[in-house]
Amino acid sequence: MVNSPDKGNIFDNTAVNYEKIVLPNPAGFKEKVISLKESGSVLLCLLCLEDPSSKDVFRLIYLFENFDYMQVSEIEYVTDGSAISVSELFPVASLYEREISDGFGVVFEGSYDRRRLFLHESYPDNFHPLRKSFLNGPIKTRDEIPEEDLYVFKRLEGKGVYEVAVGPVHAGIIEPGHFRFSVIGETIFNLETRFYYLHRGIEKLAEGKKPDECLKIAESVSGDEAASNSVCLCLAVERIAGIKPSLRAEALRGIALEMERICSLLSDCAGMLTDVGYPIGASPFMARKEECMRIIKRLFGHRFMRGYMRIGGVSHDIVSTELLVLESFIAGIEEKVKEAYNNAINSSTLIDRLATTGIIEPRFVRPLNLTGPVGRASGSRRDVRADYPYGIYKSFTPELFSSDAGDVLSRFMIKSEDIMASARFIKKIICEMPEGEINDINHEIPDGCAFAMVEGARGQNLTYLNVYNGTVWRYKVRTASFTNWLSIEHAVMNNIVPDFPVINKSLNLSYSGNDL
Amino acid sequence: MNAFFRKLIQKPLSEKVEAKDPDFEFYGNQLKKEINSVFKRSLAIREVDCGSDNAAEIEINNLSSPYYDVERFGVTFVASPRHADVLFVTGAVTHNMKYALKKVYDAAPSPKFVVAVGDEACNGGIFKDSYAIYGPVSSVIPVDMEILGNPPEPVEMIKGLLVLMEKAGR
Repeated sequence: MVNSPDKGNIFDNTAVNYEKIVLPNPAGFKEKVISLKESGSVLLCLLCLEDPSSKDVFRLIYLFENFDYMQVSEIEYVTDGSAISVSELFPVASLYEREISDGFGVVFEGSYDRRRLFLHESYPDNFHPLRKSFLNGPIKTRDEIPEEDLYVFKRLEGKGVYEVAVGPVHAGIIEPGHFRFSVIGETIFNLETRFYYLHRGIEKLAEGKKPDECLKIAESVSGDEAASNSVCLCLAVERIAGIKPSLRAEALRGIALEMERICSLLSDCAGMLTDVGYPIGASPFMARKEECMRIIKRLFGHRFMRGYMRIGGVSHDIVSTELLVLESFIAGIEEKVKEAYNNAINSSTLIDRLATTGIIEPRFVRPLNLTGPVGRASGSRRDVRADYPYGIYKSFTPELFSSDAGDVLSRFMIKSEDIMASARFIKKIICEMPEGEINDINHEIPDGCAFAMVEGARGQNLTYLNVYNGTVWRYKVRTASFTNWLSIEHAVMNNIVPDFPVINKSLNLSYSGNDL
Repeated sequence: MNAFFRKLIQKPLSEKVEAKDPDFEFYGNQLKKEINSVFKRSLAIREVDCGSDNAAEIEINNLSSPYYDVERFGVTFVASPRHADVLFVTGAVTHNMKYALKKVYDAAPSPKFVVAVGDEACNGGIFKDSYAIYGPVSSVIPVDMEILGNPPEPVEMIKGLLVLMEKAGR
């Protein structure tokens, strides 16, 4: 193995035991995974990369976490093209396995779903873009698709069952995705999602570039998660190179991340109210969002904070007078959101629409690795900021809200509470703003690999970065949306089709962050 | 009954939004004049995302927020291409969306205008050389107007529409 330097614990939490197991061959792998399943572990990520030293040899890295026992296990084995499926033990693995089959051509024995994932029908056979033998560039796709290659949806049959197909182009101004409902009367009996219409080849695009050139790519993973994804990449690079950003830079990053969370959650709350026909309740949230975006532009230079994060720090400092402006602004936001929230929650018709709609039961949280507000509305108490603190969160702990109800109402309440908590968090950072430099420009990035996790507005965003010969060898992004999307198929079960928009909005997951 | 009287004396739920953007108001009113003369008071836009990262969608959505509220100027966003005069297309077109974009274009009644919104839609942006990208919007359907930006801000979009209307009126 050329580049797998042991960096110790992959996350900065010394309370967590970290074990790394490298298996020379797949023997004994399944037994280990079964025991992890029995102890209640969660599959955080599964990724594949080609070995730099030998062609067509693939390393599969599984990352399991068990927070009851404070244990993270990284299991790795090498294969030349066939692997063992764990999708029956960890349902979320099915998506990762299909992703790897498309990208690398690795076949998973025993998997229950072998359909293509991000390569839709028009891509030719035997095309595996993430293999190093494929050089990135325009390809020739097929216009005529043989019938056996057409995508097959699960079909429900019986008296009175009919299908409703929605998408990829939707009625609203949102991203493309396909939803196939099987309905009896008005009640949804099954939903199957199909995404990846926005597959832009993000991971391949990063390969061969210098790590700091990849920041632009990380920002484009998902528009309103630009800060989270670029901080995640920065953390990975900083871990490889051993760079420690100054306290002031960490604090500024913290403000940026929390502002981004506020913006994203404000539009979620507005969207939920709009989708049940309550625009008077939605307008204050939308107005607050625009005000936030304007102050973000004033402080960070761009309405989506693009170009603000740098490896080793941030691009520019914010002077103390501007920070005072932000402090009084954010106090106003907290107050106004509280008022808007109280007005909304006091409307009985609204409660009637939101309560018991789109329930995600707590039993789905671990098998599907549901995180963020979606997980916390379904009984999870997990948050990367508290569990694996990074940057400013090492000194300040965020407030966490949780509920067991799992319905749209509890997601609305948790998201509103989160906005107010983030506002208080920003005030706390500004009060104790450290002084110092904001950028560590002189750094060399050695070869190595690292994981990094950041809590974005939608949940746990994970990045794996492998640097080889000074350029990126493998960049794997797994946003919270990738795993959280699975929950929608359960959330809509036994609801009526007209409630689908509000359920979808209450999750508000990113299509582009999922499709990459 | 009590609830009724409480409703009478309580503070109104609506609020006055201050600090509207003077630039935006100026171009918006210009646009309204053009729309009144060219499209008889109403311009229907259908938005299609073909590979954007959602930032452009967020800004287009913001056009309907209380600060901008473009419906004042006669611009509406419609749910189907069959109701549309203008298509707003965002993102470099991915292979997976190419077919859908063609279908949307064919579904829109003529005369129709296509506006490419954002750098990626206009020239491919950072995704230009990716295997998953077919090309900019103009490589799939004819484009009448390009609005550059990463993503363009609401006022840029209004300016773009104004130029398009002036062009269409001629």
